[in-house]
Amino acid sequence: MRAGGANSARLTARSVIPLVVVVVFLATLPLWVDDYWVRVWTGVAMWAGLAASWNIIGGYAGYISFGHVAFFGIGAYATAILMQPGLDWNFFLTLPVGAVVAGVFAFIVGWPTLRLRGAYFAIATWALAEALAQLVNTVDFTGGSFGLSTPGNAETGFFYYAMLIASALIYLIIFAVFERSRFGYKVKAVRDNEAAAQSLGINTTSVKLQAFVMSAALPAVLGGINAYWITFINPQSVLAGDITDQMVVMALVGGLGHLWGPAIGATVLYLSSTWLNAHFGSSTGYIAMIGALLALIVLFLPDGLVGLMPRARNMRLVRQMLRLPDRRADPGPDPDTSRERS
Amino acid sequence: MVRVTMQLLIQTIIDGLLVGGLYVAISIGFSLAFGVLDVVDFAVGEWVMLGAFMGVASRAWFGIDPIAFLPAVFVIFALIGFLVAPLIYRVRTSRYARPALMALAFTFGIAMFARGTMMTAVGFDPRTVDTDLVSGTLMIGGLHLPWLRLAGFLFAILSTALFMGFLFFTRTGLAVRATAQNKRNASLMGIDVKRLSAIVYAIYAGMTAMAGVLIGTIYSFTAQVGPEYSLLAFFVVVMAGLGSVGGVLVAGLFLGMLQALVTVYIGADYTLAIVFGVLFLILLVSPQGVLRRGLAA
Repeated sequence: MRAGGANSARLTARSVIPLVVVVVFLATLPLWVDDYWVRVWTGVAMWAGLAASWNIIGGYAGYISFGHVAFFGIGAYATAILMQPGLDWNFFLTLPVGAVVAGVFAFIVGWPTLRLRGAYFAIATWALAEALAQLVNTVDFTGGSFGLSTPGNAETGFFYYAMLIASALIYLIIFAVFERSRFGYKVKAVRDNEAAAQSLGINTTSVKLQAFVMSAALPAVLGGINAYWITFINPQSVLAGDITDQMVVMALVGGLGHLWGPAIGATVLYLSSTWLNAHFGSSTGYIAMIGALLALIVLFLPDGLVGLMPRARNMRLVRQMLRLPDRRADPGPDPDTSRERS
Repeated sequence: MVRVTMQLLIQTIIDGLLVGGLYVAISIGFSLAFGVLDVVDFAVGEWVMLGAFMGVASRAWFGIDPIAFLPAVFVIFALIGFLVAPLIYRVRTSRYARPALMALAFTFGIAMFARGTMMTAVGFDPRTVDTDLVSGTLMIGGLHLPWLRLAGFLFAILSTALFMGFLFFTRTGLAVRATAQNKRNASLMGIDVKRLSAIVYAIYAGMTAMAGVLIGTIYSFTAQVGPEYSLLAFFVVVMAGLGSVGGVLVAGLFLGMLQALVTVYIGADYTLAIVFGVLFLILLVSPQGVLRRGLAA
């Protein structure tokens, strides 16, 4: 995508048209579907944003976080607590607070663990989420296991647009930071070869830590909107491990380390889980299903659904994740590939 | 008054040590599977959960006492483990950019699959494993030692001893230790690393499931209990240093004690939070594990 000249212009034209179609579809949605489907698509927007946030640390930085629900829950509780009668904060003012608290938590966890092997990081984030859920269950100001209610009086359309805009901003931030900036190259360099990146003068721990803090602050915003939307939160609804599981699976199913991968994965999986719930009414079966899906994706389709699309031949990130030995050895049917190289 | 307080303290510590033995039994195979496969198995708690349900099934379906059924549990889960291990090995040695993390995600998927399937199959009711073979309480100097917990502790010590014997006094054990130290050199010496990791994973799955049956006789459990035991196993292994077998013994007993003390003196609700806090401090102070010595140093 960085290649200059006419090639880049054609690439842009080809990627802009589907983008415009998607944007028009999403922006006008509440005008021509009923409330049920608006709510479903609010969920799609939320999960697309969550999966994309996870993708920052999991896909771009190459560290798997198994505790991302902690940051979603922190955002939800920040909004709920600050909106309680007596404090009565404005809803929009509570969102940055959640993001900052989540970022601080991420810093505390990431600082000792991000310099270690990936497994330690995965364990530490997972332990954080489990411990946080149990702590929230116990202490008073979170309402314990009973939870908190928020003064929910806005309408369906408001939440749809709030969630959609928040998610769109997340994608915009990720695009700007990871596809178009020096910082993005640093993160990917650390992911692909940490020793080499370090020898080039990149402070690898600091780069990873910044990526992780970002990856934690963004879902907190979505958590805050979610708390206001569902009007009632408790540890089972906003700190459950399944939420992390879904973020991981959605990002992996869509395409790890790819900008649109998480959005594709979230749309496909959220719509199918809605369908499953409507027809079978079982949510535990869904956990088994996404578990099996996760294992199968890792085994057979490590670059996710994005890898199935012919255009993906140009996707540099997917190639890197796969570590294809030599691009020239890969006789792609797409002539763009060869031109881009020269 | 002082006497009563002291007695409570000693009782708590002994309770903790007895449970800690079971944590050792869960973690020791887990630690070695890590050493050989180089994958942190997120399914460890699910083996405990599945083992506990197998204990329930042995009584309900076959009418056999769960304790007597332990060898069969070992064989069943060793077989399952033997079939799963090649898949993990395949992911771990694949050409993806970060095979270690992909393998992590793979075991996470297996864990979710096991949990979701069991939750769908048996629901959310808490269960316990009932046994008639072991019952009653041993009284020594005013201390209560339930035979069930003693049996669990003895099992843990015995299986750990057998495992150590296997590691240090057999040729296969030598191969396992060599592989844990350096896979490349080990395979140059003619060790079939793939087959070996399948064997180690099989032993690990079998041992963990047996420990699951014994845990089920002491604590009630549901299909959702897996992640909690995974977390405890992680604690032990991180404290011992990933891949170190000797440290697991100390760390497991320490965890049992810590848990018992927190439960009695602070409150059961804070156990996980404090366990996590200690885990965090360990990672902060000594990332390679406090007790790292021995096997894969």
